[in-house]
Amino acid sequence: MQFVIEHLSKRFEQKEVLKDIDFTFQEGKIYGLLGRNGAGKTTLFNCLNRDLKADGGSFFLDEDGVRREVSAEDIGYVLSTPTVPEFLTGREFLKFFLDINEGSIQNLKPLDEYFDRMSIAPEDRDKLLKDYSHGMKNKMQMLINIIAQPKILLLDEPLTSLDVVVAEEMKQLLRSLKEGRVTIFSTHIMDLALDLCDEIVLLSHGELEVVEKSNLDSQEFKEKIIAALKEETYA
Amino acid sequence: MLKTLRLSFALKNTYRVNSILYSLKQIPLLGRLFPAALYQVRGLKIFANILSVLWEVLSVFLFKCIYFLTLVCGLGLLYQNAPPQLSFLHILLFLTLIGSYMNTSLFDPTRDKYYAMILLRMNARSYTLVNYGYALLKTVIGFLPFTLLFGLNRGVPLWLCLLLPFCVAGTKLTVAAYSLWDYEKSGYVRNENKLQKFAWLLTGIFLALAYIPPALGFVLPLAVYAALWLVWIPAGLVSLRRVLTFRYYREINQELLAQMFAQMDTVKEAVKTANEKTISADTSITSQKKGFEFLNELFIKRHRKILWKSTIRIASICAFLVCGILLLMIFLPESKAEINQMVMTWLPYFAFIMYLINRGTGFTKALFMNCDHSLLTYSFYKQPGFVLRLFQIRLREITKINAVPALVIGVGLCLILYASGGADNPLNYVVLLVSILAMSVFFSIHYLTIYYLLQPYTAGTEMKSGTYRIIMILTYVACYAMMNLRLPILVFGAACIAFCVLYSITACVLVYRFAPKTFRLRT
Repeated sequence: MQFVIEHLSKRFEQKEVLKDIDFTFQEGKIYGLLGRNGAGKTTLFNCLNRDLKADGGSFFLDEDGVRREVSAEDIGYVLSTPTVPEFLTGREFLKFFLDINEGSIQNLKPLDEYFDRMSIAPEDRDKLLKDYSHGMKNKMQMLINIIAQPKILLLDEPLTSLDVVVAEEMKQLLRSLKEGRVTIFSTHIMDLALDLCDEIVLLSHGELEVVEKSNLDSQEFKEKIIAALKEETYA
Repeated sequence: MLKTLRLSFALKNTYRVNSILYSLKQIPLLGRLFPAALYQVRGLKIFANILSVLWEVLSVFLFKCIYFLTLVCGLGLLYQNAPPQLSFLHILLFLTLIGSYMNTSLFDPTRDKYYAMILLRMNARSYTLVNYGYALLKTVIGFLPFTLLFGLNRGVPLWLCLLLPFCVAGTKLTVAAYSLWDYEKSGYVRNENKLQKFAWLLTGIFLALAYIPPALGFVLPLAVYAALWLVWIPAGLVSLRRVLTFRYYREINQELLAQMFAQMDTVKEAVKTANEKTISADTSITSQKKGFEFLNELFIKRHRKILWKSTIRIASICAFLVCGILLLMIFLPESKAEINQMVMTWLPYFAFIMYLINRGTGFTKALFMNCDHSLLTYSFYKQPGFVLRLFQIRLREITKINAVPALVIGVGLCLILYASGGADNPLNYVVLLVSILAMSVFFSIHYLTIYYLLQPYTAGTEMKSGTYRIIMILTYVACYAMMNLRLPILVFGAACIAFCVLYSITACVLVYRFAPKTFRLRT
């Protein structure tokens, strides 16, 4: 499976944020999306998630040469600030989600098994989500997004505000989930990107480009990325 | 000193101009005509600058004029028991005393002070003194034409009219000096927007003193008023020295403005927690349903306080009023004819009443803040089938909630009509009841539809749709205009039912057609 973006463009008035993006993401890889502040990472995610209407271009899934439209359930989008329905308990939210997606979720498990997998403590499962801590909300959001087994998982700065233990758990989780899907991970933290991601993609000048690691050691690779990002001029 | 004045003017002007330009850009349709580089365009800037200067000049006189027209003279006109010159001096004196601590300008945490002293680190003492001096000057200049105009008109001697503005400035200076002295002594910083209980009490007393004695015909002789006024001039002069020599302006402003900007940061947070507070923490609330019905039932049950409780309260008040009118007709049979006449022709009035008691806005707001705001970030929630399924469920719920008071009002009106002598045509009863219910359904659908079609909020729970606001205002204006309509039940009722049915059908069609696309978070 491949996730293909063709000629995607988006402008806000005169400012061309995404110009003619052409890129193919391969299944089974985690892509680290790096870019300067305001480079358009969130805009790109919003366009892919169809929260924002793109001005032109298309994106689709290519499964063994057969192209098909990306539907809403193909995409999981984890935002940097976790949002969960505050009036439900963790268990109720999960139950609601499983109820309405009954048909599409394979090998349904008991609710507690899902909680165990995210290491959400038993006493927290029946608390209202408004009383969850930031990290727990984040876990909950991640859980909902991965149960559906989306083909494309978009993560916008997901680990920055987590404590080290949870962040490590999440990293492990993302690694274990990467098979069978495209994971795109936007971050400002270079070390995180290098540690977790299989490919580093830069968003600069409104275009996506891969930074080849070839045979550079990690220090040289870092310098190469910084150099590439520095080229960004103020349009 | 001149430099400080010039700088603070330039600063205030800059952000005023930018706010004018920003609000121009927010106007739907018109806003699109403006370029993104709006803030660079010279012509627009000059235009906004002119507006800004006009506003500054206008603000010197406009508010004083309104103040004199309404509070000082307008209310004073009612008083026939006292000589006009004395009640004028009396009322103005006590209102001025209130103004001396409620409107100090020195203890008003404003945005321009924050920008100038905190962000740009201007010298606090000279900034404060220059601006305070300017504010006092505005007071004197702003008051002078009106004390002359209204004072002379009421027979106050010319010399007193000329001195009154300086006395007003004197009261302000005295209170300011006292507050500064109080700070030196106790470290307490006054904030005129956050008055203490004592100050409110004092305001109440002064208001009573201002308006009650002259109404009863009790006023003092002119010489006493003159003395009570003029004493503020020497008091002001003494205080001026203190204000000029005070040394802790930086500290005072730091504290005053820190309070304010801590508040501004927490406003968003406060909105969020206020919304979360509406969620019931009762752990016994559960639901046996599945899927969206499960979600909906939990939502309604956990928001009972803002949804059902308030609708039941409204319904009880309506029932109470109906009983009152029925009793009135029993004890005062001669009122029947008039009441009958009213019920027969006042149905349009109820469009506005139904507008007021409708829970639609509260419902959609709670829906967004506590539910959709988060769930809309999940792609599964946005699947067209699910959006529409949930729309149906919600429409059913809000209709139920609104139907309770509507039913009470409808049945109540029928009872009143019957008890007050009835109608020639029994169809009147049916139309009365049905049209009230139709209005209630209309408002339910109306709010939910525009919520689904325009979804005005962003992920940060900011309202971002001008169109949504305009529709809200138009709804209000239309309902308000209905109040002036006097039509027989059958005519208005039939038209109203037809309109509601048509509107509801159109609205549902629109939602089915467009909501899957429009029901998103704004970015």
